[in-house]
Amino acid sequence: MNILFIKSIEGRILAGITMFVGMMILVGWVAINEEARMQSFVRQHTGRSIERGAELFASLCSECHGEEGYGAGDRAPGLNNPHLFGFDPVGLQTAAITNANRALVRLNKEIDRLLAELTDAQNPPPEERQSEILAEIAMLEAQVEEQDIAINAAVAERIAVLETLDTAVENGLFPLWDTVVDIEQTGDNEVEVFFNSNGTRLAQVGWAGDLHGYVVTTLIHGRPGSARVYPNSTGMAAWSQTAGGPLRQDQIEDLAAYILNWDKGDNWTTEDFIAVAQYGKPLADGSLPSEPPPPPAGDNVAGILQRWELEEVVGSAVSGEMLYDQEFGCTDCHRAGASAPDTIGTTTRIRNERLTLPQFAGYTIEQYIVESITRPGDYVVEGYSSGLMPVNFGLRMTDQQLADIVAYLLTQE
Amino acid sequence: MTILPFPSFLDDVKEKGFKKAVFEGIDDSVERLTAGLNVQDLREAFRGETASRRPNPRLTPHADGFWLHMRPSYFNRDVTGMYPTFRLGWLSSYFVFFETITGILLMLWYTPSPEIAYGDMLTILSNVPLGQLMRDMHRLGAEFMVAVVAMHMMRTWITGSYKKPRQFTWFTGLLLLVITGFLSFSGYLLPWDQLSLWAVTIGASMAEATPVVGDQVNLLLRGAPELGANGLLRFYLLHVLALPALLFVFYGVHYYKVVIHGHSLPPQKENIGEDTAKRVPLDKRVYFIPDMLTYEMMWLGATTFIITVLCIWFYHAPLENHADPQVTPLGTTAPWYFLWIQGALKLGDKFFWGVAFPTIALGGLALLPYLDVTPSRRYAHRRFMLTIASLLISVTTILSYMGLAKFAVQTSAETEIVHELTFEPAHSKVGVGRTIPFDQMIVGAYSTAQMHHHDDMSPNDIIAEINAEALVNGQFEQMIQELKDQHVGANQLPLRFRAIPAAEAPTLMRVMEAFAHHLDAEPKELPNVWGALVITDNQAGLKRLDWVVSWDSVLIEGGEVQLDDNGDPILVYSDQVDAEGNPIPVRRIYSDHLFIHQASAYFD
Repeated sequence: MNILFIKSIEGRILAGITMFVGMMILVGWVAINEEARMQSFVRQHTGRSIERGAELFASLCSECHGEEGYGAGDRAPGLNNPHLFGFDPVGLQTAAITNANRALVRLNKEIDRLLAELTDAQNPPPEERQSEILAEIAMLEAQVEEQDIAINAAVAERIAVLETLDTAVENGLFPLWDTVVDIEQTGDNEVEVFFNSNGTRLAQVGWAGDLHGYVVTTLIHGRPGSARVYPNSTGMAAWSQTAGGPLRQDQIEDLAAYILNWDKGDNWTTEDFIAVAQYGKPLADGSLPSEPPPPPAGDNVAGILQRWELEEVVGSAVSGEMLYDQEFGCTDCHRAGASAPDTIGTTTRIRNERLTLPQFAGYTIEQYIVESITRPGDYVVEGYSSGLMPVNFGLRMTDQQLADIVAYLLTQE
Repeated sequence: MTILPFPSFLDDVKEKGFKKAVFEGIDDSVERLTAGLNVQDLREAFRGETASRRPNPRLTPHADGFWLHMRPSYFNRDVTGMYPTFRLGWLSSYFVFFETITGILLMLWYTPSPEIAYGDMLTILSNVPLGQLMRDMHRLGAEFMVAVVAMHMMRTWITGSYKKPRQFTWFTGLLLLVITGFLSFSGYLLPWDQLSLWAVTIGASMAEATPVVGDQVNLLLRGAPELGANGLLRFYLLHVLALPALLFVFYGVHYYKVVIHGHSLPPQKENIGEDTAKRVPLDKRVYFIPDMLTYEMMWLGATTFIITVLCIWFYHAPLENHADPQVTPLGTTAPWYFLWIQGALKLGDKFFWGVAFPTIALGGLALLPYLDVTPSRRYAHRRFMLTIASLLISVTTILSYMGLAKFAVQTSAETEIVHELTFEPAHSKVGVGRTIPFDQMIVGAYSTAQMHHHDDMSPNDIIAEINAEALVNGQFEQMIQELKDQHVGANQLPLRFRAIPAAEAPTLMRVMEAFAHHLDAEPKELPNVWGALVITDNQAGLKRLDWVVSWDSVLIEGGEVQLDDNGDPILVYSDQVDAEGNPIPVRRIYSDHLFIHQASAYFD
């Protein structure tokens, strides 16, 4: 250790200067690498943001929008969706047909010119030239045929796409149908007319901003009218805390990052377009959308108890124990009484200590437990901290699950 | 007489010539800046020569200057070595200034609001050149500072330096220790990630156990029943304003007392009951200029260099996910310097162990110099107090160990195991399940049962056997149902287990081996267990990993597995019977999942 106590002044000055210079060199070295480090941090963070978004999507959105984002029946549109990302299959086919038609015009002009030369009475071409012209015409006609095939394919594909969309129209599930131009006047295919002016989703809804803004705005505020368009759903809720929902802004951004990660850029195909349940089609395998999950119990204690009575909900202690230990992790805290009251002895304590308190006059043990789970902040046992128990258990469990847990706790004498 | 600008200098030039006038001008300026040392004096000092002028000009900066007015002009040679101070007091001071400077730099990019704070952390890491280094340094400096100040206190105890006349110095030192702890603790919350929110929630909840005023103290501290915008703002103001102000005041008092009484000598260097620190014999004097000054400059360089090296290669300040009051992470602990209180809390009564015990402990420390009034500082005469010191260290260590999440907090084994494999990066560690390189996450369902078969079978035969078994007993079906419940896409569900591609994916193989190893370590709680890892594609560059544990249900009462007379766990049976009429145990299943994006690079 005495090396730290260099005896000569020169030695100390030298050592000190060396250390300072060394530190400055290190900091300089870090500084010139900062640009790369910051970029890699951004990449890494974007990746992790997508992961968190995937988690949120699986637990909150997949029920209606589908696990793989293809949408679910008549409940919500697909988001893994070429149309959302600006891919326009009708427009694509239109462009293909237009291009092929242009090529056809060019080819036919060329053929006409050659024919004119061949049949020119005043100045007939020599024998050699005649056979040359005939060969050229044959080649051009083969090309015409190719273009015809291309047009037919594009038309067929276009019809296929339009037909899928026709189904949606028949089901009355076409969003914003009122905006389509008056078809009576033109007699054109109504879907085609619609797509000619609304090639992408953003154009369709008249959104002037970018896709990220569109997705984030929808997540924040929900879609107030969507239950009318998707009659089997409860409508897109407002998910952001700023609009009364459960998610923070960073979670909204995570979800948006995940949704936008579906973008295939230039690699979208018409098959992708047809695969997605864009306008309330049946699922790809022909099945119907699954039943919506049972509603959560909520935190209205009287209401819960009343429902249990009316619907004859009976709790199972076995299943309750599983939920208590595993699913909701109650024993993580309710163990040994250090951070929360012990699970063992729950009913004894409630009967002998809690229900004797004036504010619980007239309570049943059951009612006390239900209130403790769904509204943990209303009363905290002396000696324990308030705010430790999450307040959202009522929203995370169904009536049956809550009844199971209560049944289990009633066995804890 | 002509009126010239800078008349004195120009007069000098006229009188003495340009060169001489300039040199004298420089000399004069240097003497003013250093409050007493001219160029020649400095040259002599840093050459290690004696001063050629009388009175000794090296004493004037202490007498006339501001910066050195509180520093002693000379030290006793006996206290300038490693022993007895270990330079801990100097290091504590160093960290006070180090933390102030790095902290002010970080303040430029920080807003104390729950909506913005975490984003600011990301900005510091992603868009501020040297931002990560500053944050790492500030955080590491804070951890060091708490440790150094605590060690400084123990050193003072061991050398008996708290004795008369330094009782009050000790008391102010103890105040500084408490302030340092709270400074570090209040800074903990500011990043507003899961780590900070829950460590501080646990720490702050201790205050609540105080009788009568507990709720009020807690409310005052958090600004609301829950930690939120008000709480963050209050912690921020404590961290950058109130506590530093207190710290600097008591730092001044503490150091003033140190200088007034002199640095206490090694115990054996003075007679029992005497304090001769202030009477330094001429031959023992080590002058601040130039000796201590060069020492301190050298240490300054060395310490900063070491911290820089540590923060570049060995330490990065943790940043977990955004704080979420609804999601309690597994294994939450208070910061390490408060672990001893968390450990004590596990002993029983919350008020006694969480409030009374720390108060008594700190009160005892504060009263120490007034309780231990024996005159001798010699080690041989202080066996009792030294025993108490080692007891204090041992008890604190043991309590801190007890404060760890793994001590006496039981979680069910399957939750624990899956968490162990999948936890998000924290404190430079990450669940091994996240470290599988992206190209080794080969889509499929893999079973740990593959590890239990002997080597004489080919992997494909083993898997065929496992598949046949799992199909017959319905366990595969149960797993598929669990995956469906966890929102795995219908097109993604596996049809059967497949052999782990050990050649293409060696890391995947190692992770599965670790998974099997953990599961096999719990034969009582998880009988007949197998684990599965189901890897599915989710998006381009995004995989989903489902971790499944399947086992026979056992009877658990009060958190303990119930054993029969043979020491085997008692199984829970269902109503059904198998082909031979034996009852079938209830099969339990647990799963958790994570998503991995290829850019996330957990393995870097």
